[in-house]
Amino acid sequence: MRLSYGNRLAVSLFAGAAMFLMALPVLAHAILLESSPSINTTVAGPSIPIKLRFNVRIDATRSRLTLVTPDASTQLLAISKNAPADILASQAQGLIPGEYRIRWQVLASDGHITRGEIPFKVMQP
Amino acid sequence: MARLLQIFGFLSVLFRGGTLTFGSLTIGGIVFLNFVARIANSQSETVTQICLRWIRRAAVALAVMQMAYILASSLILMQSADMTMGDVSGANFVLAGILAIASALAIVALSGVQRPKIYAVMLAPAALILVSSVMTSHAMARLDYRFPLAVVTALHQGATATWLGGLFYLLIAIPRSPDNQFARQLIARFSKLALISVAVLAAAGFTLSLAYVGSIPAIYGTSYGIMVATKVVLFGTLLLLGALNFQIARSPSGGSVISSLKRFGEAELGIGITVILTAASLTSLPPAIDLKADRVSRQEIAARLAPQIPRLASPAVQDLPEDVYAAEVTAFNGGTLSSASFVPGQAGTRPNTPAEKSWSEYNHHWAGLIVLAIGLLAFLAQTKHFPWARNWPLLFLGLSLFLFLRSDPETWPLGPNGFWVTLQDPEVLLHRIFSLLVIGLAIFEWRVQTGRVATGNARLVFPALVAVASALLLTHSHSLGNIKEEVLAELSHAPLAILGVVAGWSRWLELRLPAENKVRDRMAWLWPTCLVLIGLLLLNYREM
Repeated sequence: MRLSYGNRLAVSLFAGAAMFLMALPVLAHAILLESSPSINTTVAGPSIPIKLRFNVRIDATRSRLTLVTPDASTQLLAISKNAPADILASQAQGLIPGEYRIRWQVLASDGHITRGEIPFKVMQP
Repeated sequence: MARLLQIFGFLSVLFRGGTLTFGSLTIGGIVFLNFVARIANSQSETVTQICLRWIRRAAVALAVMQMAYILASSLILMQSADMTMGDVSGANFVLAGILAIASALAIVALSGVQRPKIYAVMLAPAALILVSSVMTSHAMARLDYRFPLAVVTALHQGATATWLGGLFYLLIAIPRSPDNQFARQLIARFSKLALISVAVLAAAGFTLSLAYVGSIPAIYGTSYGIMVATKVVLFGTLLLLGALNFQIARSPSGGSVISSLKRFGEAELGIGITVILTAASLTSLPPAIDLKADRVSRQEIAARLAPQIPRLASPAVQDLPEDVYAAEVTAFNGGTLSSASFVPGQAGTRPNTPAEKSWSEYNHHWAGLIVLAIGLLAFLAQTKHFPWARNWPLLFLGLSLFLFLRSDPETWPLGPNGFWVTLQDPEVLLHRIFSLLVIGLAIFEWRVQTGRVATGNARLVFPALVAVASALLLTHSHSLGNIKEEVLAELSHAPLAILGVVAGWSRWLELRLPAENKVRDRMAWLWPTCLVLIGLLLLNYREM
């Protein structure tokens, strides 16, 4: 079967586009601009305020903050509903001294899902 | 689900690129139908019908891509954030996707109604597709000037769709025109539309660059800036082709005029789709203006680009990390992995070892030598005085073997990971596809150069593959462990990609333009020049 000019053009374009898209970089969109606690810092426990500021608007309802404790167990943190559009805020309580991580996952208003980690230490107050 | 998570980032960009491309074809088709094809002339019926058929196909493809995008993103959100379908359903990307699907299906339904008045009605769902696209653009997530940026984005995307999407319909409409006069009418009307679109596109693009890039150092110092600069260069190439078309369209009638216009149009469309897909990859990069730290300075670029003797001796395989996957897990657990943002499925990146960098430089430098030899021989062959030089495509076989052996030392045949890993890791798979492409390229072009194939589509395999492979290179991601190294790698790959795109399409035009068109002779020398320059640039590629 001989393809028409339109079909050949479309098939070539589709094949080219498909191959091109296979190589697109998988890079994150939302950037964590600053956080409290900051990455690799030591803070005084047992109660610490958590604040993450991003470069874009965040859909807080569909974003998550998880605390990884020194014994590797995880605890979902409640996200404040009153924070500005680019900030995820929460509060971690009852933290004993040790190494922790905050795992964050955000849904930006443009539909991109991004995640990351903030390692930090807690010391005696 | 684990596999979906692993390839999520890749899938989301794939579907995003698909929606942009098919969205452009749908919108461009409807605009073409209303403002170009509907000439007050009963002879346009054939053209109208072919346009409607392709609008329908593009709209169906758009709906499928949007469904896939919503499904993949929703599943990831539900799985990774422990949400229900109900929780996810109110998300902005779901609402935008539903709007696009409903609009696309409305277009499919309307395109079946054989009444000219309906064609104007189709402009409404086309506008809604544009709105849906803007809803998932950078503009929607900005903290300041959200509404003005959304309007400018809509103008930018709408003008792109009108010009490049419409060009596809012009190319399929020309052969179906009842006579040359009708075809010239189509071209003249489309030229006017394209001129307006280009002006809007350029103005909106400039405004968006001010908002998202913001300064000269951000252009060369960030990945986003480099990609925008690449888009601008390719846009310049498109303008050049457009200007050639414009000139021809105004020249006196002649047998070769329509043919020349079609051939320039093909190259314009090919480069145009490359630009649209580059734009799709831009949506997954953070805007340059947001990256204040880790920008590459002019001094760092000058130091990296300063000419040095090529590295022609390779480090031993034993010096490389035995298993890159295991090394990444170790780095992640040890806390030495980057804690910067990453998309679900990625584990972040670790810095490359000096041996890995030397290995990569060696690969680029030997590849550069081979490509330089190919370019010089192609030059000689074009002079017609050295018939033996026409065998230059065979050098690509050596390049293919070299890429196959060296591009992924951690996998078979050099490394511990078996052959099937090839099919699981997108990057390794891509390298293997590249190797196969290069073999295809060598065989087809050798047959063309040595006169075994004189006519037909086989002649177009070489230019098409060079153009596509170069477009691939434009977005070939480098996981080099930190943002600066990735920017520096992209800085060297962007010119390679641009030269490759120009090489591919200039060879295409050399083969496709009618003999009477003098541009053809210039194209015959342009692509070997590009190949020589690619070889030289590869020889100076460095990672440290």
